[in-house]
Amino acid sequence: MALIETSSYTNKINNCSSHQERQEQQEQETFDFIPILHVKDVYKSFDYKNSKNNDSGKITNYDHISSEHHQQQPLSNSTRSLRTSTHKVLNGVDLKIREGEFVTIVGPSGCGKSTLLNIIAGLDKPDSGSLLVRGSVNDTNNASSTKRIMIFQESALFPWLNVQENVEFGLRLAKVRKERRRQVAHKYIEMVGLSKFSESLVYQLSGGMKQRVAIARALAMEPEVLLMDEPFAALDVQTRDLLHDELVGIYKTTGKTILFVTHNINEAILLGDRVIVLSSVLKNIKKEFQIDIPRPRDPETPELYEIKKQILREFEGDLQIAKRK
Amino acid sequence: MICKLLKENDNNNSAAIPATSLAAGESSLRNEGKKKYRFDTTDVANVALFLAVFVGLWQLVTLLELWPKTLLPPPAQVAISISELITNNSLIIGIATSLWRLAAGFAISIAVGGMVGLAMVKFQGFGKTMSSFAVGLLTFPSIAWIPFSILLIGFNDFGILFVVVMASVFSVMISTYGAIRNVPPLYIRASKNMGAHGFALFRHVMIPAATPSLIGGIRQAWSFAWHALIGAEMLITTLSGLGYILAVGREFNDMSQIIAVMITIFVIGLLFDRIIFLRLEEKVRSRWGLNQHAE
Repeated sequence: MALIETSSYTNKINNCSSHQERQEQQEQETFDFIPILHVKDVYKSFDYKNSKNNDSGKITNYDHISSEHHQQQPLSNSTRSLRTSTHKVLNGVDLKIREGEFVTIVGPSGCGKSTLLNIIAGLDKPDSGSLLVRGSVNDTNNASSTKRIMIFQESALFPWLNVQENVEFGLRLAKVRKERRRQVAHKYIEMVGLSKFSESLVYQLSGGMKQRVAIARALAMEPEVLLMDEPFAALDVQTRDLLHDELVGIYKTTGKTILFVTHNINEAILLGDRVIVLSSVLKNIKKEFQIDIPRPRDPETPELYEIKKQILREFEGDLQIAKRK
Repeated sequence: MICKLLKENDNNNSAAIPATSLAAGESSLRNEGKKKYRFDTTDVANVALFLAVFVGLWQLVTLLELWPKTLLPPPAQVAISISELITNNSLIIGIATSLWRLAAGFAISIAVGGMVGLAMVKFQGFGKTMSSFAVGLLTFPSIAWIPFSILLIGFNDFGILFVVVMASVFSVMISTYGAIRNVPPLYIRASKNMGAHGFALFRHVMIPAATPSLIGGIRQAWSFAWHALIGAEMLITTLSGLGYILAVGREFNDMSQIIAVMITIFVIGLLFDRIIFLRLEEKVRSRWGLNQHAE
């Protein structure tokens, strides 16, 4: 039941010495294993068109640097002349994930957590740095990215296929035989409790059911790592609670490594073995918490409450820095 | 655990969306069936009523003798004309010839338009230029191709095919281009993550995702092709086809034959649109759940 804070990082931005220090500290610390995933020193920035009178180096609007919205920037400019400016989204992120670990990444919108997940999934390329899978460099564009399957906030199910066909989709691409496909799909549809609905069409499902199908579809690929990008953010509270329980159940039965991104602190501390706090100012990992409390967890317990308070404090610190700039 | 999941699942349904549980799904299916049946009978009655009123008015106008009977024949005479055209086989042969030309021209349009549309998606610069060019030709009246076709190809089936293809290929092109470009990026990202790339991404994701809007475009292209075909058959004389029978009717001042062929053209257009395209569209729409707001 102990709460261990594995590392404490400085609040200074772009402090190179502290960065190195941290790496050394990490290496001699708990990580004496070959991680299933090692995000090594990843930098990523995005270009987007910005108004001329807006100082690109200065963060004027906190939301503008949101990585999720970098393509649809709300341009609050009156001038017509636009120019491209670059914004850092990930600034030397270094993250190691142990096999079978349930890691949650929490951070406010715009801290680059979705980008990080996209890079791990192979859907995006880092500007520099690399992704090591079981210690070897992974070309993020090769087919082995099917070992790291992403579950999106909007379920991304295909409306032209029914539940069963959706779950079979990845296997069909991999040219798995029909009977085998059927078998695997049945297994995972049953695991998420939707056996009765395997013939249903996507539009007939509720939001929660859609996410269950998305989970089944991801599991059917038999991935090594499950990447979840705010999968329950669009659901109502009751459904979300149910799906938390189910996800924990699935985690226990399958033993998959899960990387779960959220902006919801409660969700992060209820689910994760390890909670990683990303900072939208540092564009990097700010703090990590190891949570050894058995699940199901109650967010009201003092240990979790304490962690929650600390995470909130980190967010607040970021906000202060952003305002001062 | 499964039991628990199922139970929770049921709770979840009743709480979140009662209408989409399986039971509700079944009942809605049953309703759909019932509705279809009722819809059909009322539809038939409505059509019959409409036809009766139309034929009645027509009869009335001919009885008033505003025009001589040779210029505006009564419905009965047109009916005789239709039966004559059927018994001497010219109508059947005409329909067969016209539909064959339409099918050939339309197939070429879909093949060429589809390929060029896909190339437009693949090569962005080409897509931009080609789409404005194709929009220009889309609004270009198909009948204006006829002199060009006669001089270039001559009075034969290929001349007619050329006009039909020119009338419909740009519609297919533009709709393919638009439909593929509007495929939600989320589907593409998700399927790439599951290992789709190259042709598989195309076949299993882009094409099915684009299908609802593709069908709309193809439906429009079909009607363009049909318009062009009749026009071309009237002007590019090849001694066969519905348009040719229409032109012959004019030569011989045989108004009842003209009206008979007009009715045939109308019925064929209607049947194709209702039976093939509307059915197809409805099937896709109901599968995607796009009909929800209409219920």
